[in-house]
Amino acid sequence: MMTPEPAHGAIGLDPQACTSCMLCVRECPTWCIELGSHTEEVSDPGARRPRTVNVLDSFAIDYGLCMYCGICIEVCPFDALAWSPDAADPTADPGGLVLGIDQLRGWFATPSDS
Amino acid sequence: MRLAGEPVIVVELTHLSLACCALEVEAALREGLMPEEPDGPPGAARDVDGHVLLVAGTVTEALVPAVRAAWERLPEPRFVMSFGACANSGGPYWDASTVRSGVDRDLPVGAYVPGCPPRPDSLAAAIRSLLGSTAQRMPA
Repeated sequence: MMTPEPAHGAIGLDPQACTSCMLCVRECPTWCIELGSHTEEVSDPGARRPRTVNVLDSFAIDYGLCMYCGICIEVCPFDALAWSPDAADPTADPGGLVLGIDQLRGWFATPSDS
Repeated sequence: MRLAGEPVIVVELTHLSLACCALEVEAALREGLMPEEPDGPPGAARDVDGHVLLVAGTVTEALVPAVRAAWERLPEPRFVMSFGACANSGGPYWDASTVRSGVDRDLPVGAYVPGCPPRPDSLAAAIRSLLGSTAQRMPA
């Protein structure tokens, strides 16, 4: 028998939509999100000074800490985070529940309705 | 209990009910999310594949000796399952001085189950990950 739906699945990330604003990291009650980014200058033709944009380098959720509360999803201004019907699997590796961009991007590809 | 599926797993669960996750474990056991195989015919009984210490809930510093004692009483082959965020890492209380930030500080955890609480069907999945390869070698 499967878990009845809707169930808390995993949280997926769309790295293209993420602006590294850090809201999710700051709002997370358990501090389970780690985000790395740097800034780059973009020179637009005709602009008086270059713009500065954030570039996402790394993003990881520690599912050993995550409470699946969904606050990160709620606060994200760009809908870069979303529930996925998939779930993080039990693991024997102590660090195996820290999942990075590659895994989280895969989960974003199959967002759930809830 | 005998966990149905391929292979059938005979497991003795020692459930340390420390917080709300304990209710989720009971729910998983009762709601059919742990499909149970009926006992085989008399004489077909086989030894358990393993003893699992199921740590479900917040491990406070005061409880650490009791958790250790429960582990030391388990016969071999034995395994520790850390069920839920509190047992995995302390969960929402990871920075509290009275809470152990992860039962793996005291015991050799064989399966970390994510969630707050974990999905009920992940209990069976975790038992399978701990004992599946052992049970494969045992005659059903």
